[in-house]
Amino acid sequence: MIKSFDKISGIIFLLISILFISESLKISGSAYGSVVGPKIYPLILGIVLGILSLRLLYEAFKQASDKKETMKLDYKKFAIIFISAIVYVLLLEIIGYVISTFIFLVVAFQVMEKGRVIQTLIISAIFSYGVYAMYVNLLGGALPRFSLF
Amino acid sequence: MDTIKFLLDGFTVALQWHNLLFALVGVIIGTAVGVLPGIGPMSGVALLIPVTATLTSGMPTDAAAASSIILLAGVYYGAMYGGSTTSILLNTPGESSSVVTALDGYQMAQQGRAGAALSIAAIGSFIAGIVSLIGLVLLAEPLSNIALEFGPAEYFSLMLLGLAAVSGLAGKSVTKALIMTVFGLMLGTIGIDAVSGIARFTYDLPVLYGGLEFLTIAVGLFALGEVFKTILENDTDAEPIAKIKRILPTKQDLKDSAKPITRGSLLGFFIGVLPGAGATLASFFSYITEKKFSKNPDSFGKGNIAGVAGPESANNAASGGAMIPLLTLGIPGSGTTAILMGALIMYNVQPGPLLFDDHPEIAWGLIASMFIGNLVLLILNMPLVKVFAKIIQTPKKYLLPIIIAISFFGVYAVQYTTFDLYLLLACGLFGYLLSKNDYPVAPLVLALVLGPMIENNMRRALTISNGDWSIFVTKPLSLVFLIIAIAWVLIPVILKFMGRKVIVNEEE
Repeated sequence: MIKSFDKISGIIFLLISILFISESLKISGSAYGSVVGPKIYPLILGIVLGILSLRLLYEAFKQASDKKETMKLDYKKFAIIFISAIVYVLLLEIIGYVISTFIFLVVAFQVMEKGRVIQTLIISAIFSYGVYAMYVNLLGGALPRFSLF
Repeated sequence: MDTIKFLLDGFTVALQWHNLLFALVGVIIGTAVGVLPGIGPMSGVALLIPVTATLTSGMPTDAAAASSIILLAGVYYGAMYGGSTTSILLNTPGESSSVVTALDGYQMAQQGRAGAALSIAAIGSFIAGIVSLIGLVLLAEPLSNIALEFGPAEYFSLMLLGLAAVSGLAGKSVTKALIMTVFGLMLGTIGIDAVSGIARFTYDLPVLYGGLEFLTIAVGLFALGEVFKTILENDTDAEPIAKIKRILPTKQDLKDSAKPITRGSLLGFFIGVLPGAGATLASFFSYITEKKFSKNPDSFGKGNIAGVAGPESANNAASGGAMIPLLTLGIPGSGTTAILMGALIMYNVQPGPLLFDDHPEIAWGLIASMFIGNLVLLILNMPLVKVFAKIIQTPKKYLLPIIIAISFFGVYAVQYTTFDLYLLLACGLFGYLLSKNDYPVAPLVLALVLGPMIENNMRRALTISNGDWSIFVTKPLSLVFLIIAIAWVLIPVILKFMGRKVIVNEEE
């Protein structure tokens, strides 16, 4: 797993470095009053990353891919939580902090482990409302308000 | 004695009631963070930056910076201490710096001496904290005076040395560590160039003009990365916890651990001062040293109290020592100090030699508050050991989603854009993938913080020399730094070629 990841990431880093070099060449060359403009430093970084990613690819291809015991990963649970986190961000500024956080926590708690619905609801409600009350009312910060009301 | 006068001034800052409260809160939260699985010192400090930013929002900038750095530093050394609790009670170290503690600590717990192990860890941490603070007080002035002589070329080389040190020791592969470092430097170039005002790599996206926020990246890579890992690997089973019977150590225990604590404190402090060699290395070295000095080395690994006392003192002393390069040179030597530095920069306070002149109340206030914080840590932790042991049992079902929610809140409260939340999620995913495949993420964060400073110093040096690159090797100090930097990266590689085993510093 690690070796094939290295091959892929080596190629990605190589592409990033090429992109970085070509993009930094487009930055205007000299700055007023200074010999060294804003493009030199990114250019150097791009070249160094290019060399390092070649080295990584060399290391990854040289070593025969060793068999690693594959761990069973819980993709389903992770995917649901990750997607609900994205939905949480999408909804945050639309339905406000308290409701979106509450929904996210209820979903995530239940995905982690089903059951104990009442406890889940109570903890989610305390957290989402508590953070909002503490932060906005007590400390004078700003969070997206409920806009449904 | 100016130093003593400054220190006393520092104490007046640290003893203001709100700062006392901040130190107390920081230490308690830090210990909890260290005890909780899934969040280490780095993500703990990163998560609390937005909270402290809000807490201090009503104060004048300097006082606000002093107060929040006091709290954050409290979290840092509180977490260092808290990590030992899980090592001893559960045999699962909360942070890598407590890995060694588990060897003898867990054995002691099995023999019913968990209380003694925990309290000796607290005592050792306290003494080590004091030792490293004395060192900090003694070294801070002279070091920052030397650093004042540095020009841009010296700074550039010194920062390269800092990066090289962290990458050279991080993780299993030097190539990967270097890639992460360079990648972090690249991410640091995004945004408006400070010198010329030209936008780089922003592609006309307004959110990118200010550059990527280091806080978002750090929280994403560390806190969310760790949460995602726990969810994916379904590592949510609760382990049985050793019972704590007697809390106070016996006289014999104290006698047995006096010397290891002294040795561990001194060793840890000096290792901590070196950039890159953090608390993990310090605790390993201390363990090896104790084993060598011991009359019966066979008893190590079977519940020898010296195997807890030494390493625990060493890792705490190291975290104190790590403050020295941060405060005097403005160069963080580890991931956590990089985050502390980012916090200071958020308050427009630039750590470095000028810190002691420009903002003496911040520098000395922090130093004084660490004295107080260590005392609080000792007073609190002895009676509260059982309470903290309870925290370990927080079900992960609730813990993990709440960590996600706290990171969202923290990042959004500071940045106020949803762009940063998407970036946060992406960083969490990358953080998991990268550390899973042995790409250390600490160098990336360090590089992100240091990047703009490295570039500015490089360009200033080149402007002085009229574009002549040899300025970096003709200035003697700069040349020395560069040589050490190269050696730091190359020597482990050469040793590996020769088939020697190299101790690497895991994330801390």
